[in-house]
Amino acid sequence: MREFEYYQPKTNGELLAALALDGARVVAGGTDIIPRWRKERLSATCLVDISAVGGLRFIREEEGVIEIGALSTHADLIASPLIQNKAPLLAQAAASVGCTQTRQRGTLGGNLVNASPAADLAPALLALNASAWLMSAESERCVPLAEFWLGPGKTVLTPGEFLRSVTFLPPQGACGLAFAKLGKRSGMAIAVASAAAYLVLDERGNIHTARLALGSLAPMPKRSPAAETLLTTAAYDEMLADRAASAALIDISPIDDVRASAAYRRLACKVLVERVLKEAYNQALGRLS
Amino acid sequence: MKQIKISLNVNGRDYFIETAVNRTLLDILREDLKLTGVKDACGGEGECGACTVVLNGEAVNSCLVLAGQANGQRVLTIEGLALDGELHPLQQAFINAGAVQCGFCTPGAVLAAKALLDHNPHPDDDEIREALSGNLCRCTGYTKMITAVHLAEEALQHG
Repeated sequence: MREFEYYQPKTNGELLAALALDGARVVAGGTDIIPRWRKERLSATCLVDISAVGGLRFIREEEGVIEIGALSTHADLIASPLIQNKAPLLAQAAASVGCTQTRQRGTLGGNLVNASPAADLAPALLALNASAWLMSAESERCVPLAEFWLGPGKTVLTPGEFLRSVTFLPPQGACGLAFAKLGKRSGMAIAVASAAAYLVLDERGNIHTARLALGSLAPMPKRSPAAETLLTTAAYDEMLADRAASAALIDISPIDDVRASAAYRRLACKVLVERVLKEAYNQALGRLS
Repeated sequence: MKQIKISLNVNGRDYFIETAVNRTLLDILREDLKLTGVKDACGGEGECGACTVVLNGEAVNSCLVLAGQANGQRVLTIEGLALDGELHPLQQAFINAGAVQCGFCTPGAVLAAKALLDHNPHPDDDEIREALSGNLCRCTGYTKMITAVHLAEEALQHG
């Protein structure tokens, strides 16, 4: 492997000092960074290994907020009783990542900071309306995850800043959550398209709140305002799901790439959206009584 | 190139190694410790699973573990699986089921199966497929691997 500078901080303070160095790039589980380093697809000159920093690997609920530390692995998410109970779509999204070996090493922080349009955790966290907590030597700030990405490989993180955790409110009431991913196969497949839905019903069974997030269908993972507007206050039926799925197409800009054509992605988007809406609605309905 | 000193336990033995920071656990196992049962088939991309080892009880791709990240860890390679010259039930099961053709993916697949059975002593076919989905076999002996894991499961239960 070609050479790099290497630092392995143990504390937040040491981490911030290392991130102040020129050409610094955080590496955690290494499942994305190391292959990219080998292929010379990283402009960094210095790898700051965040994996030994204490206090960044946790999944907890405190004062009604669920918080997940950036170093939590996909396997941690899958195994967490809290996530299984309160945000199962996140466990499902984590289970769709790579293979066992990848899920043991790959982290939530890496999945989000790499800013791949295909990041599997992204649609699930967007549907949960998650926020990202960013830390630098001078300050700490919280940005809605929907505003975290600027494009493929680009985030709002500034030099010297790192992603500490994500937070979201646990879904409550008559809610339903669903995630679906289409890949060429189940193991090691990067998403051709993915979708996640979050629906809350009012006491009459109409949709009170709707969030729909999409992956691999735009330069970054994103929500679909068009579909969400259409769904909110409406009564669910298959026709509504069909119309919402068509509306979602307004908000996406898929491309042709090695995994699929843009035209196929549009078709896949529609099917996945209908699927997650149906599943989320049925779950929510089950909780209404 | 910057050097670091690390200690790690491999197959029950402690090692103290000074190594360049841009090497991986795979490099250390193969080149320094001569444990060449750890294979590299995809060139360090974490795609093929041939370099799978059990790291602190979990199957991981050793090509993606930086030297610095191996510090203080416990590693099991295929060389550490047989005890006193007797094959581990999983190794024997792979032989009995004919789940070995060219053999290149076999150490990684056996270790992925080992981590599975350690956590889940009675996996169903789907769970085995999932656990081995990161281990590519170009001879396509997948079905026999599933049989092998079930054979090992029985042997371990009665053993």
